[in-house]
Order: sequence, then C-alpha cells, then structure tokens
Amino acid sequence: MTESLEDYALTRKIQRKGTIQKIGIVGCGEMGQEICRIVSQFGMEAIYLDISGEKVKIIYERIVNQLEDEINRWGLTESDKKAILSRIKGTTDYNDLSECDFILESVNSKKPGSNLEIRKDVFKRIESVVGKDAIITSNNSTLMISEIASVLENPERAIGLHFMSPATTIKIIEVIRGIDTNQKTFETACKFVKMIDRKVIIINESPGHISTRLIVTLINEACELLLEGVASVESIDKTMKQGYGMQFGPFELADRIGLDKVVKWMDNLYQEYSLQKFKASPVIKRLVRANYIGKKCGKGFYRYENGKMIGETIISAEFKLQ
Amino acid sequence: MKIIVLNCGSSSIKYQLFEMTTQTVLAKGVVEKVGLHGSFLKYEPHDGETIKLDGEILDHQSGIEYILGILSSKKRGVIKSFEEIDAIGHRVVLGGEEFNKSVYINDHVIQKIEEFVNLAPLHNPANLKGIYAMQALLPQTPQVATFDTAFHQTIPEHAYMYAIPYSLYKKYGIRRYGFHGTSHRYVSQRVCEILNVDINNQKIITCHLGNGASIAAIKNGKSIDTSMGLTPVEGLIMGTRCGDIDPGVVTFIMQKESIDIPTISTLLNKHSGILGITGISSDMREVSGAAYDQNNDRAKLGLNMYYYRIRKYIGSYAAAMGGVDIIVFTGGVGENSSETRFEVCKDLEFIGIEFDKSANRKLQSKEMTISKANSKVKVIVVPTNEELVIAQDTMEIVMNLQTRPRDLLW
Repeated sequence: MTESLEDYALTRKIQRKGTIQKIGIVGCGEMGQEICRIVSQFGMEAIYLDISGEKVKIIYERIVNQLEDEINRWGLTESDKKAILSRIKGTTDYNDLSECDFILESVNSKKPGSNLEIRKDVFKRIESVVGKDAIITSNNSTLMISEIASVLENPERAIGLHFMSPATTIKIIEVIRGIDTNQKTFETACKFVKMIDRKVIIINESPGHISTRLIVTLINEACELLLEGVASVESIDKTMKQGYGMQFGPFELADRIGLDKVVKWMDNLYQEYSLQKFKASPVIKRLVRANYIGKKCGKGFYRYENGKMIGETIISAEFKLQ
Repeated sequence: MKIIVLNCGSSSIKYQLFEMTTQTVLAKGVVEKVGLHGSFLKYEPHDGETIKLDGEILDHQSGIEYILGILSSKKRGVIKSFEEIDAIGHRVVLGGEEFNKSVYINDHVIQKIEEFVNLAPLHNPANLKGIYAMQALLPQTPQVATFDTAFHQTIPEHAYMYAIPYSLYKKYGIRRYGFHGTSHRYVSQRVCEILNVDINNQKIITCHLGNGASIAAIKNGKSIDTSMGLTPVEGLIMGTRCGDIDPGVVTFIMQKESIDIPTISTLLNKHSGILGITGISSDMREVSGAAYDQNNDRAKLGLNMYYYRIRKYIGSYAAAMGGVDIIVFTGGVGENSSETRFEVCKDLEFIGIEFDKSANRKLQSKEMTISKANSKVKVIVVPTNEELVIAQDTMEIVMNLQTRPRDLLW
C-alpha cells in the first residue's frame, strides 16, 4: 500500500469545542454568492445549494468572475482566489448539507407574496438533514424569523442574520432573536459574525429591523421629492451623500438593492404595520413594471454600462428618452 | 532537551525539531498550501529519506497534527511520542514596543500579539494560529515567542520616528519597528565569529534578501536602523511589495482607481515589487531568466530597480554609522544569487569594497567571504538560521521556568 499523509494523522483527533467549520448557504443569488465568498475567505467551507445543476454551475462561474474582478481591482491575488474557490462547493441535494454546523438561508423568490412559504419549506428541509446542534439562520429583511422557524421541530436553533448589500464590504450584521431562539444559538450566531470579522447589531425582532425599515422610508421620501418636482435624482443623491456623508444616495442605493426588492420589502412592511409611510411610491412601482429594476439589469433610477453609472433614466417622475 | 520551532505563515508552516544538547536538527520540513488545493507535507529527518506527502490539510491545526504525527511515527519518526517535545518556539512577526526579547507565552503575551494584529495583519494572525493549535495539542508544553521586531528595539528615537504629528505615535504606536530581526541578529553575530572580530566595535550592514527583504545597520552589536518600518512594506523592493514610495502616490491611486483601504494594502503588498514591475513573477530566478535569456526589458528594469534600492540603502547606512566594516548577504536571494551580490557591490569601491568576482560566482548558500583579502570592507555571505536562534532563546527561557513562576516571565 502506498504511503499517504493520512497515515500520520494523530489518533486522538482534537476538535476545538464549538468550532464552526462548514457553512451551508441555501439560495445563492447575489447575496448568497457574496456570503459564500466571505465565509470561504475566512477559512470556513461553504456549500451552496440552488435549484438546478445548471444554476449551481452558473453561480460558481459568477463567483469566479467576481473574484477575478476583485483581482483586477487589486483587491485579491491569484492565490487568494484559488484558496477561496477551494473551499466553495455547490449542490442541489439537501443531503450534502448534513455535516454543516451553520446554515444560512438566503432564498429569493420573484413571485410576490410567496417568500414566507418558500422559506418555511426550506427551513423544514434543512432541519431534516442537519445534525441536532446545527444552527439554522435566515437572511430575512422584513419577514419574521419566529414565523419562518415555527415549522421547525427545534425552533430554538433558528435565528435571523441580516447581511446588507454589498456584504463583502459592509462590516455589520443584524442578528435577530426569534421568540424561541435560545442563548446557545444566539451566542453561536454572534461567534460566527465575529469569525467573519463583522460587528453584531442585536435586534429585538421587528419587521424590517433597523436597516430595512429606515432605508425604505428614505427611498420612498426621495421618490416623493421627485414626484413633486423638487429636484433631480442626481441632486437628491448628491445632497444626501455630500450633505450627510452617506456612501450612496437614496436612488443609487435603491438601484443597488434592486427596486423589485424595495417594493417587496415595502409591501411586507405595509402589510405588517398598515402605515402609509410604508406604501411604495408610484415612481418605484412604475419603474419596476417597466423592468427598470436597478443596477443588476442595467437600468433603474440610473442607467449603467458594464456596471458603471452613465446617467439618469428619470427626471421628476418622467422617463428620460435615452 | 527537544525543542520544536514553528514559523507559521498564512498558508505554510515551517518546522524544525532540535535536540538542544547537541544542537542538532532531528528533522525539519514544511507544510505548504494550508487550506488550499495541492497541500502537502515535506519531511526531512536528519538521517533518513526526505519525503513529500500530498493530502488535504485544511488548517494550521491539522497541519501541525500531521507534523507531530510523522515526527513521532513508528515508520519515519525521530521521537517515540510527541510528548517528548520539551518546548515550542514560535516565530512571531510583530511584538511592538512591548517585547525587546523572546518571551514565555502566557495569556498576557497572547493578548498583546492579538493587539498587534492591526499592525501586522498579514503575519500575526498566522503566528497566533500556530500558538493556538499547539495549546490545543500540547497544552502542558511551554511555548516561547521570538519576535522579528525585538532586535530592532535598540534603534534610537531619531531613526524610528516618522515625521508625522507626534500625537499619532502616542495614540497608535506609529513608528518604525523593523522586521527580520532574528535573522539580522544571527548573521551579525555569526559574521563576527567567522571573522574573529569583536562585535562591539564593528559597523555591520546586513542584507536579508528573500521574498521579503530588509537591510539593517548594526553598530557595536546593536541595530541602529533598518529598512522595514511600521509594516514590512517599507524599504527595499521585494517580491510583491513596493518598498519605499511617496505617500502621495498612495492617496493618488486611491482617488483615481476609487479603491478602499484593504484594496490599496493588497496592491502595495501583493501586486507590487518585482512582480508588479515585471509582470512576470515575484521569484528573482524567473525574472533573472527572463532578463538575460529572453532579453525582457521590464525584467531588466525590475532587477535594476531592485539592485539600485539596496545600493542606496548601503550608502545611507554607511553614512548613518560613520562607515562600514562588514556587509553581510543572507536570505534566499542573498545566499543564492551571485548576480544580485555582484550588481549591488559593483559601484561601491569608493566605500572600500574590493569585490572578489570569482569567489562570488562559485558560491551558493554557504558561509564565505566574497571580498578580496585586503578589502577594507568585508563582504560575506552567511546563510541565516532563524530557527536555531528561536530554539536557543526557547531553551534559555524554558530553563528559567524551573526557577521562576511562568506568569512572571514577560
């Protein structure tokens, strides 16, 4: 028999207590892909799950492309890329998540109103394959973690972890305790957040947490200004960026988040609170109907070419003709 | 007494097991590509066959487990059980102003090394991984840290301060710390043994030229200046680091390329230096091949910049010390590249170097003088041996543990 490295493994395998080594990511859209990169960058294994083999392949290619972009922007080296990719694997089979210590659900359904049921189903399927100590989390913005977790046999292992976009640069994560979340789950989630060099923002469960609730109202109010013809998209963004030191103005931010997502968040919040301030502005709705859903499709409040902003699409609620 | 010395990098672990009574290396080797595809363990026992074993090595802890496993294995081991190891010595890159010599590792020391992570983000975390792994695997065995910065703690204030607002030094400890201290210390002491001169009246310039590179001015046995600064990016041009640069260039690039702090750090640390200029490689051998075999202009430019920068430092350190008696070359490039040594020394006759071209050409990786017998300034190659220094320091500290409580040793 040939000699192998494993012949020299120590018999007493020492696992440090409570280590988080394998992370499952269910639903691997843009956010899921970013989470895969972060998790792997910090030395953990990432297994992502999506609905078809073809999608799994495309996602991997996208992650490769994102890493290559990062190299071209000087942020990574070839060997970093190799290291990151070596720890990322894709699958369509829930059974492949069985050894994961920590699972992040980041499902995004295009169908309006379907998200809650889909997420519940995903949670059930995750629980059916993972070990009893595994933590199940949802990257929920406006849905309630307690409600999603209500379908679990052990809802105390569920917790909300809200990553904000772009997750690769934002250094905070909202950690949302559900009604049943136990202390161990909370502590493990906080430990995970620290392991990926992010800061924990503790949230008492409430739809929209801090981030979503405040940002959608800002975006909506910016749309009101536009509707009233007070100022242009660019002027409003510039005022908020330079006047208040925001990294992005409200419209630029809406484009980055995706206008469809903004509308979905607002619908959920409106349903929850029945407050006028959460009713999505007709400007955003109109853009979404025309498929001007933001940066990812090349047009939203601004027009984009190769990911770079090249101009506005809309002036005082009127579409700009090219 | 058996001491294992570990040098943990971000994806590699170099190790040497010493028998200190005879000062011999029982076995040494390296674990490469930790957490990457193609990871392997290389093992060289002193009287056995060198082997390379491929396999999955997910993290530093499993890498160290394999090292201990093979060292104590029936088939290839050099010890019966890894519990025979009496102490562990770690190379730790940055010890700040806190540590001017090697120390016994206790909670306070670990906390300090953690605190210095922001000053050495590429190195201290990997060193800590090695310390933590050993704590888990051999919890009863004393560990010692030898700091790259410790030897340079003798640098006087006027040389270590940067001319920026003083309050920033007080607030963050921004100053020159220098690195490769263990190597500069070893080769400066060793060269005096070889030449049979008293280190206390010598002016020595030590050139540690590896993938990372630094140069030090050592007067009367004490480091009085060195080229690396707060971080290892200052000074000489390196494999992938830029070395000295106008700080205005940094802010200009950040503005023009719209890049953030981690990205500019990666640009200056990993995309620059010989690799950045030549676009070929960070490995001097490859660049040298491209320059001379393929007549590649950018490779030639990269090499000329590299040599020029070293020469400039030698001149300035000779001025800083009021002369120079000995110049030492060490590190992978310094020990093996006769071309580098020649190019660096060739215009330095005015400071008293009479270079021995033929001795230089023949020499590879061993102790030897490469200046002529009557040269006023001696030029010598001394292969570095940081591991031995770490092992010796570790032994000394561990012997003292028997007489002093551990927690007081810092």
